Amino acid sequence: MILKIENLKKYYGENKAVDDISFEVQSGEIFALLGPNGAGKTTTLKCILELRKPDFGNIILNGTYSYLPEKKELYHYLTVSKMLDVTEELSKKFSKENAIKLLKDFKIPLNEKIANLSHGMLTQVYVSIVFSEDVDIYFLDEPTWGLDPLIRNQVLELIRKMSNNGKTIVYTSHILSEVEKIAEKVAIMANGKILENDFLDSIKEKYVACITNKDEEIEGYLYKTTDAEKVFITTKDKAKGKIEPATFDMIFEAIVKGVKK
Amino acid sequence: MWFTIDFSSHVPVYRQIAEKIKMEIIQGNIKKGEFLPSIRKLANTLGVNLNTVSRAYRELANEGIIESVRGEGYIVKKEKMKKFNQALLNQLEEVVEKCIKAGISHEKICKIIEEKTRGENV
Repeated sequence: MILKIENLKKYYGENKAVDDISFEVQSGEIFALLGPNGAGKTTTLKCILELRKPDFGNIILNGTYSYLPEKKELYHYLTVSKMLDVTEELSKKFSKENAIKLLKDFKIPLNEKIANLSHGMLTQVYVSIVFSEDVDIYFLDEPTWGLDPLIRNQVLELIRKMSNNGKTIVYTSHILSEVEKIAEKVAIMANGKILENDFLDSIKEKYVACITNKDEEIEGYLYKTTDAEKVFITTKDKAKGKIEPATFDMIFEAIVKGVKK
Repeated sequence: MWFTIDFSSHVPVYRQIAEKIKMEIIQGNIKKGEFLPSIRKLANTLGVNLNTVSRAYRELANEGIIESVRGEGYIVKKEKMKKFNQALLNQLEEVVEKCIKAGISHEKICKIIEEKTRGENV
């Protein structure tokens, strides 16, 4: 176990940004915090990194870490190459050599000014810098936000490579399709709470869709209502009526909708 | 070894991998006694996590289709899979039933099966 969160709470006045969540991350895992905007993912990361003071709870972090923030901002007036020099001065764990290699793979010109980079390129530069820190665990907040599919796949591929080499990744996302591609363990978060936390493959195996007539209630999450029937997403043992397989997409939507009511 | 994986399918990724490997074995692409790619290698070629491949291998090992050789990897133990074949036959039955429901004639269905199985040792 490299990271353990117990009963973490962070309130901003009335707003329960993080509302009593607990989870564990094992070494070498890719752990995704998945949820709609405002679910509390970023606040959770910030509490772990001591950028926010939790109101309650325990955080145990067993290892060195590096962090890719949600807002990808670097010094505008520097060139990419100068940015690497600055990072090298600031961080003992940073390998400039490694960063140059990653940036070459991404085809980012080193002599370009940060200000002139597109959002995608800026993210690639930032990701390259973060992954060139030789640490145990990488916290990535929306690492693929706003990237086109090709660049996104490159970044995902890099994340997977790091994990296959024994590094731990904790990242947040609201994009299901990419979480499906790389995450092993997923915590589904909404309204500050974690509603499901398991291996992605196990979540797929656990839930089914069942179609019942309109006045029947099933213990589970209501996914859809049609003229004559209701569709619930529920665990296999509680399923009733006509049973259909459920995709992760459906499971996620139903769980998140369920809590918003 | 490479095959496509449908990440958005309701079928867990490790199960898709296990099924595809079974097909590879049945088709004779990997033979009895031969090694499967290492977990790391297959994870990298398929673009999945190590644990996902290792879960697929464990599943195949539990079914007795492959066997772990200490420190060396996994070898193919069985080429014929009764259970898997039965599952395929069940699928065929389902499709045939659908065809009948859709009103496709007995002759047409038989013709396809006849054509596809001709010359094979079934």
